[in-house]
Amino acid sequence: MDNLLTVSGVTAGYGPITVLRGLSLHLGAGECIGLFGPNGHGKTTLLQTISGLIRPTSGSIEFDGRELTRLRPPHIVEAGLVQSPQGNTLFGDMRVQETLELAAFSKHARDDRQSNLEKVFALFPRLEERRPQKARTLSGGERQMLSIGCALMCAPRLLMLDEPTLGLSPRLKEELAQAVGSIAKEGIPLIVVEQDVEFLMALADRLYLIEHGEVVREIDRANAPDHDEVMRLYFGEAAG
Amino acid sequence: MIETLLAALVSGLVLGSLYALMASGLSVVWTTLGVFNFAHGALMMVGAFVAWTVSEAAGLGLLTGIAAGTLVAALLGVLIERLLVRPFYGHRSMLLITVMTTLAAMIILEKGAQIIWGARLKQLPRLIDGEVSILGATISAHEAVLVGLAPLILFAIWRFTLKTRTGRSLRAVGQNQNSAALIGIDVPVAFAIAFGLSAALAGLTGALLGSIRFITPVMGAEPLVKAMIVVIFGGLGSLGATAGAAYLIGLIEALLIVWLGLYWTPFVLFLMMIIVLVFRPNGIFGGKE
Repeated sequence: MDNLLTVSGVTAGYGPITVLRGLSLHLGAGECIGLFGPNGHGKTTLLQTISGLIRPTSGSIEFDGRELTRLRPPHIVEAGLVQSPQGNTLFGDMRVQETLELAAFSKHARDDRQSNLEKVFALFPRLEERRPQKARTLSGGERQMLSIGCALMCAPRLLMLDEPTLGLSPRLKEELAQAVGSIAKEGIPLIVVEQDVEFLMALADRLYLIEHGEVVREIDRANAPDHDEVMRLYFGEAAG
Repeated sequence: MIETLLAALVSGLVLGSLYALMASGLSVVWTTLGVFNFAHGALMMVGAFVAWTVSEAAGLGLLTGIAAGTLVAALLGVLIERLLVRPFYGHRSMLLITVMTTLAAMIILEKGAQIIWGARLKQLPRLIDGEVSILGATISAHEAVLVGLAPLILFAIWRFTLKTRTGRSLRAVGQNQNSAALIGIDVPVAFAIAFGLSAALAGLTGALLGSIRFITPVMGAEPLVKAMIVVIFGGLGSLGATAGAAYLIGLIEALLIVWLGLYWTPFVLFLMMIIVLVFRPNGIFGGKE
């Protein structure tokens, strides 16, 4: 198997509540995949489990031939598996510049700190303008840029983005979608969680529809759904 | 009159330095873990006793003693975090539980010190003999060292949290644990560093105080209570506000001792604390949350 990431039969949740029920998916080398589906059905939980914030009760996660299932978050980041989380509150009282510098925390990320910082500023010129500002004074879109920028500072070998355009205006959404696209073009494999299936289909090689903590459908270029079908996937037969 | 006032000011400076060192240690733990460490005063006491044992009982010299006191207190701080704080992390009543566990640690350390070192009063020699005259008021040279050292240490901690990778990681963990973990910061390691640093500060303060006051198992209780008043005045969030409040409380206390005497001073200090809690719960220098 030359998969970069293999998630097999992962069950996980919060205390007595099970969210992921034996979920399996994979990502090939150089591939970019998208996850979509209704809210509250386990997409964010899956990313948090892969990142080590939540311990799975069963199943396994393998990254680049290495078993990650029981590792803690810093070791997973050290391996190059990095997440840009949703919500993006980050560190409210830290300035943009020091947040980005700090994000190059793991040993392998430290060497490329300066060149990665330049890359982040090239991708998001607005962050460069906001360098001395504290994170909590940033707008929603700028926080999202900072969150993605932090993930890039970690020198990812696989980057997971949790709803990078959540709650943004159409114009900002377009800006971030382009940035995500150029990250993908740079050759960094991506896992992107999004509600906007059309954006995902333009970006990703394959999509997974996640419902009730399981993969209920895998979509690739060959069986891409049209607009009506996407509506049906989301809202049931009534919408068709 | 002027002379009394100057003497009170200088003695307030000495008290303020002591409270600043104690309160900044509490602040480091609070901003990183969101825990109030009631064993902080007991750690100070351990620092003083260990310094006495190494310096006087073993005869290895005062500087070695101070270093040993600082180190042992730091290790104990890490141990307290590991055994009494970390198991309750993420618990929804964590703040209350750790109030109880760190209070328990305080009692264990105080009674333990009583068993190990006995009840007889002990004192360390002074770093420098002689006296120093500031503004016409005289204090011992050792107290002058404390007054000079405190701002240096506070400045060093401030630079550490602002400029170094480790210091920044403590702030990041304090502000958002999950986001910190997701950029590769080892959260439990950050907790241990914060507790160790804070305890080292307590140990150092104790070892320095052991030359001025008697070393007893309960010597940490009073500075801890004063440090609590300080953090309530200054708010726990920022080191600058905590340090400012420490010097302010030191000065107020010294002036109150002159005007009202020792007996009524704690009463007024606590009254002020209650008033601050009612009208400015985030501290007089604290921002609005």
